[in-house]
Amino acid sequence: MLDKKYTKGIVVPNNYKTISTNIIKAPLPNKIVLSLQQQYTNNQAIPCVKIGEKVLTGQIIATPQDSIGTPVHSSISGTVTAINNQVIPHKSGLKIKSITIESDGKDNWIEKSNYVDNFLNKDKLELINCIKNAAIVGLGGAGFPTHAKLENIKNCKTIIINGSECEPGIMCDDALMQNYAKEILGGIEILLHITGAKNVIIAIEDDKKKSFEILSKYNNNDVVKIKKIPTKYTSGSEKILIKHLLGTEIQSGKFPVNFGILCQNIATTKAIFDAITIKKPLISRIITVTGSSIDNPTNYEVRIGSSFSHIINLSKPNTDNYDVRMGGMMMGIDIKDTKIAICKTTNCIFVNKAKQKPIAKECIRCGQCNQSCPINLLPQQLYWYAKSENIDKAINYKLLDCIECNCCTYVCPSDIELVDYFTFAKSLYRKQTKEQKQADIARERFEYREYRLERNKLERAEMLAKKRKELKQKMINDKEQKDKILSAMNRVKTKNAVK
Amino acid sequence: MLLNNKLNTSQIMFQVICALSLGIAANYYYFGWGIIFQIILAIITSIIVESIFLSIRKLPIKSTITDFSGILTAILLAVSIPSIAPWWIIVLGTSFAIIFGKHIYGGLGHNPFNPAMLGYAFLLISYPLQMTTWANVFLDIGQSFDLIFNAKSFNAISGATLLDDIKTKLSLGKFVNEIYTTSDSQIWINIGFLLGGIYLLIRKIIYFHIPLAFLLGLSLTSLILSLIDSDLYMPFYFHLTTGATMLGAFFIATDPVSSSTTPIGRLIYGFCIGVLVIIIRVFGGYPDGIAFAVLLMNITVPLIDYYTKPKIFGDKN
Repeated sequence: MLDKKYTKGIVVPNNYKTISTNIIKAPLPNKIVLSLQQQYTNNQAIPCVKIGEKVLTGQIIATPQDSIGTPVHSSISGTVTAINNQVIPHKSGLKIKSITIESDGKDNWIEKSNYVDNFLNKDKLELINCIKNAAIVGLGGAGFPTHAKLENIKNCKTIIINGSECEPGIMCDDALMQNYAKEILGGIEILLHITGAKNVIIAIEDDKKKSFEILSKYNNNDVVKIKKIPTKYTSGSEKILIKHLLGTEIQSGKFPVNFGILCQNIATTKAIFDAITIKKPLISRIITVTGSSIDNPTNYEVRIGSSFSHIINLSKPNTDNYDVRMGGMMMGIDIKDTKIAICKTTNCIFVNKAKQKPIAKECIRCGQCNQSCPINLLPQQLYWYAKSENIDKAINYKLLDCIECNCCTYVCPSDIELVDYFTFAKSLYRKQTKEQKQADIARERFEYREYRLERNKLERAEMLAKKRKELKQKMINDKEQKDKILSAMNRVKTKNAVK
Repeated sequence: MLLNNKLNTSQIMFQVICALSLGIAANYYYFGWGIIFQIILAIITSIIVESIFLSIRKLPIKSTITDFSGILTAILLAVSIPSIAPWWIIVLGTSFAIIFGKHIYGGLGHNPFNPAMLGYAFLLISYPLQMTTWANVFLDIGQSFDLIFNAKSFNAISGATLLDDIKTKLSLGKFVNEIYTTSDSQIWINIGFLLGGIYLLIRKIIYFHIPLAFLLGLSLTSLILSLIDSDLYMPFYFHLTTGATMLGAFFIATDPVSSSTTPIGRLIYGFCIGVLVIIIRVFGGYPDGIAFAVLLMNITVPLIDYYTKPKIFGDKN
């Protein structure tokens, strides 16, 4: 049962070659494209450079509009050549306003500050501000701004550092742990200082023995514990990881923050260390390049905004006819145009021999999807309702709890792209609720207008009636007055007549 | 669950067909060539009828035929009916199963009823005589051919099934002890299907819920009846090894399309079929009740599924 020990998840066969854990610095790109899109807020960053302006590496080129947003830094030195809409690596193929910078090949940095090691004396808010200015976002995949996470957490009890890469083939965090163990542990010290948490758990999959050893060797803080989790797909998913480590089941609709748990990706932790100690903004990240068309899979340190083709060409694919996928084989997205730029959450690039997707057959309700679902949903039923656009029923079957991990799609014997149906149904639901909201507002407005008109009518009638009454009274008064005058006149007349 | 043995829909259907072979072999060993003729006739009919319907519905023929679902339906029907039934029985039954059991509803995956059992029920109601006359000795290829295609009847080699026979005798006032016999053929055919079913379980093509609950429901109901009066009701081990019990448990009731799809739902579905089978066998007018029990439970599937949704991760209740 789910209540006791969590045993769900699927073992995806790892057909990818093992990678040496060296990290190779990728040569500077000739051109970078940085999208101004901000994660988790609709307000884009506003450019603070003009076309033709020279910029330095690490210089802020766009500033956020709200408190969730982060600034955008140039990742190379050179000249701004365009500020226009560019395709971003997203399922939708959306075009977002971006800044293009041509490299001058020099990589001139903005003034680098000296190494700061007395960060433990600094104020928490100052540190969070540092993290914000370095534009650090969650590097695990969701890209949630780290400062917003740190600002929101209250009574933090546990920090979980997610060092698991449960999708087969991705090795960038493994390489990071083996090369930057000290930095990672330093980043953890900073997080402990900011949040005041009492314990830290670093979660590593049980097949990453070397990373485990290296981290254990450098770790001399009793508060920090390194735990192994099973090498299964979706073990690294936030809520499921918490279930594995702490046994706490985060209710649907709630976040770990509500339970005093802070989850950070291991690469984010290293980025925090760099931001605080050497004031280095997040302008590069480690990316695994692998896949069936790559003979020597490698981990590269790549500047954010480099194009996919720039990175792929470093690894020399053994064929010209390949498919590119960003992220893991399970949850990643297919990249059709390799000229577009990578973003901060690009952890892996798969270059696979071009293959035709099998044609989907009918669902035979075999139930394998339900067996594989880490959330224990019924994808076979959801599929019915999503396909027939019966959104109410789909919501009833907990459509919104789907984490889109693609386990069901992977196991489906009929090759149905189940998750695509669910994403579609979710967007339909969002549209429906939005329309419903708008309809509600319109109805309320209409009803208020009706009420207002009615009220005006009543008020007017009341006013008229009042006026009429007043007039009548006045007339009566006038008549009395006239009568009085008349009688007075008559009296005078009769008096005169008597005289 | 480990995924190194990922099968696609066609392969799943093909595996089920392979798993049926043990039971078919046992049937051949005891009753000869009849079953082979029936299966061949059924497969040919299903391919022809399905092709016609697919061309009417303007759907690709080859890819649909090769998903083996129609052929599987045909084979299931062929092993359910008497192996010496005249040829038009299986042709009619298969056509009915493919047309009214499957394509009328929109093809594979859309049928609310088990197509093979729908075909069987249709045949049993329409042609009770042909559907209850079974072979009781081994028939060679010539004899089988004569029986099936030339409609020759040999009274000496055919008769009612064991279930039918027992039922008649019980209704005549005989006691269980007087008439209790076992039939090697029935036991071995059931063992054949049981082994095939276990193979499917190991390959994770079917889940244990339905067969287990089915056999449990069947055993429990017959056990309770025989505890009430062991003279009037056959013991549970008789029911387990007679008729289409194992075929029903592992191959008929487990049809994924028309059965319940939630883990708890499958248990309820299987158990209820087991109970219904005994009720129909003991109190009903038909010798075996698998078809009717399955069809009755098919109707309840949407309801069962609705009320047995599993608890999801992070659910408040």
